[in-house]
Amino acid sequence: MERLDGKVVVVWLWRVLVFAVVLAVAAGVAVTVLDPGVSRLVVAPAVFGVVALLGTLHALLRYRIWRFDVREDTLYIERGVLVRVRTTVPYVRVQHVDSRRGPLERVLGLGRVVVYTAGSRGADVAIPGLAAARVDDVQETLRRLAIESEPEDGEGDAV
Amino acid sequence: MRLHPLSVPLRAVSRAIGFAWAFLVGGVALSRGDPVLTGGAVVVAVLAVLAVVGYEVAYFRRFDYELTEDSLDIASGVFSRREREIPLRRVQNVDVTRSLVARLLGLAEVDVETAGGGSTEANLRFVSREEAARLQEEVRERRGARERGRTDRADATDSEAGDAAATGVEGGEPAAAGGTDAEASTGEFEPTPVGERGELLFELSDRDLLLYGLLSFDPRLLSGVVAFATFVVPSLGQRVDVPNVGLAVIAAGVLVLGLGVWLVSAVVRVVQFYGFRLRRVGDDLRYERGLFERKDGTIPLSKLQTVSVEENVLMRRYGFASLAVETAGYAPGQSPSGGSEAAIPLAPRADVFTLARDVEPFDEYDLSRPPERARKRYVRRYALAALTVVAAGFLVSRFVVSFPWYALVALVPLAVPAAARAHANRGVHADGDHVVTQKGWWRRRTTVVPNHRVQTVIRSQTVFQQRWDLTSVVVDTAGSRSISGSGAVAVDRDGSEADELADTVVDRTLVTVGVRETPETGGGQSSAAAGD
Repeated sequence: MERLDGKVVVVWLWRVLVFAVVLAVAAGVAVTVLDPGVSRLVVAPAVFGVVALLGTLHALLRYRIWRFDVREDTLYIERGVLVRVRTTVPYVRVQHVDSRRGPLERVLGLGRVVVYTAGSRGADVAIPGLAAARVDDVQETLRRLAIESEPEDGEGDAV
Repeated sequence: MRLHPLSVPLRAVSRAIGFAWAFLVGGVALSRGDPVLTGGAVVVAVLAVLAVVGYEVAYFRRFDYELTEDSLDIASGVFSRREREIPLRRVQNVDVTRSLVARLLGLAEVDVETAGGGSTEANLRFVSREEAARLQEEVRERRGARERGRTDRADATDSEAGDAAATGVEGGEPAAAGGTDAEASTGEFEPTPVGERGELLFELSDRDLLLYGLLSFDPRLLSGVVAFATFVVPSLGQRVDVPNVGLAVIAAGVLVLGLGVWLVSAVVRVVQFYGFRLRRVGDDLRYERGLFERKDGTIPLSKLQTVSVEENVLMRRYGFASLAVETAGYAPGQSPSGGSEAAIPLAPRADVFTLARDVEPFDEYDLSRPPERARKRYVRRYALAALTVVAAGFLVSRFVVSFPWYALVALVPLAVPAAARAHANRGVHADGDHVVTQKGWWRRRTTVVPNHRVQTVIRSQTVFQQRWDLTSVVVDTAGSRSISGSGAVAVDRDGSEADELADTVVDRTLVTVGVRETPETGGGQSSAAAGD
């Protein structure tokens, strides 16, 4: 079982920070407009603090739980803090494999691999936070395995 | 090929009516009787209508479609051009809809669905009725010929045989289709009435139609009424001084509303499913239905993803069931029209299963229920829900309209039988070829998934389920129903049992698809080589 690169926590924490700032500003504006008798200088930092704390906790737990495994015939993924999800994707069902790198991910030398199936929850299968070299590696392996496992007679047609 | 010329006025009128109406009503309301402004609104409305007519004429002139040997090509678009080529072997459903007006004019709307994307891939509004039937028939035939050609090649390694089959001369159809299919695939198309081709599998009698309307009561409609009632009730409470009389009025009102909703839903169903017939034409199922608006759709069996048998409480009581067949194009209830696309709306349970097995042969199944502790969990859950209702009742009674809220406490003990029902209606069964799941105690749905259609297997555990060591196993297919979360799910299985189930299903899928040669028995190490 392989784990994600630890630096992915930075990406997640960045998102938590942005989210907390947005919520804090929104709360501040709401307090100013509604004027319920509490200072916005109290409310906004409080909202920021709570959201940032919970978000950080969530990000750390998420990293601890995230696991994936490139097996012989299937890709196995284990993730989720509140709802624990374990997904098994047979390679023969893979339609295509993407690798993506956002700006922050590029700075950190990370990337993620997204695996699409014809199944309705296809887009769910994404592996975030892999080291750049590992991204190419995983994408290439998945692509190769997906092609190899394709039966010749077309019986495996997904839809 | 062009659309039917009459489609211009029909499209223009249906679009312009809404347009002009909005302009007129809005304009007249805003002008507040000022004659100049009112006149302006009328002028704008007329201009809008002219613009719509102009657009529709341009749309008609620039719309071009062609059914080739292996694809449906469509060039369309007034402002931005689009050329689309849909490979016929990727086509999932071909639906023909004829609204009341279109029927009077002899027109029909054709929708072609493939597995990809969210919306309908090709929408022809409108072509003549004969042309619609021709398209539907030829898509089926050419796709069938392609598929036969492919398997023939694979079996006999004789490409000539495939070509011969492709012309339809050999007519390699299952015998079940009868002689009618040979007649249908002679290449020369004759516009025989759609109702006369293929083998009639099922016809909904008027008595059953009425029963279906009455039995298919959907409790979700009531929630709308409840939402509406929350607006009405407070004003009612203020007006009626004596609380007891007020209560009686409310109770009577709720009863009348409930009956009204029931009747309306029954009428809607009857109108939708009037004259329902299901036929088998070659490898397609074909249904038609509708009183005013006739729908005529195809469900290709070669594209079938899941089969589900659905029975609500009333249907179960009287021994009826309905059958839904899902392809990747769209699911029942998600069709372009939003209507319920049941393969069989209502039939005696035994008949439904006979037909389901005819469509997708599956063995007898023996569902195993969730572990006993799951039932305890349901008891708690329902009791909690009942207590919430009591609390809400108390608040309403205290602040809005006074009524004996403590009567609601009687709901709490109902949690026990409700939990028992929920538990007894959930289950799963997996055998060599299929996974069968069941859930839902009001509307029970038994879904059969062929192993070769499984896409991914997902085990999920909420924090609450983790506490009880329960896991839900989702067997995902390409069927579009899974998107709405109503796909095949084995709810609340024991942790280790869920692991075993997931592994077994994945293994069997790999075997049926031809990746692995033999089923594995436990362990993660696979010795069988990948097929090449």
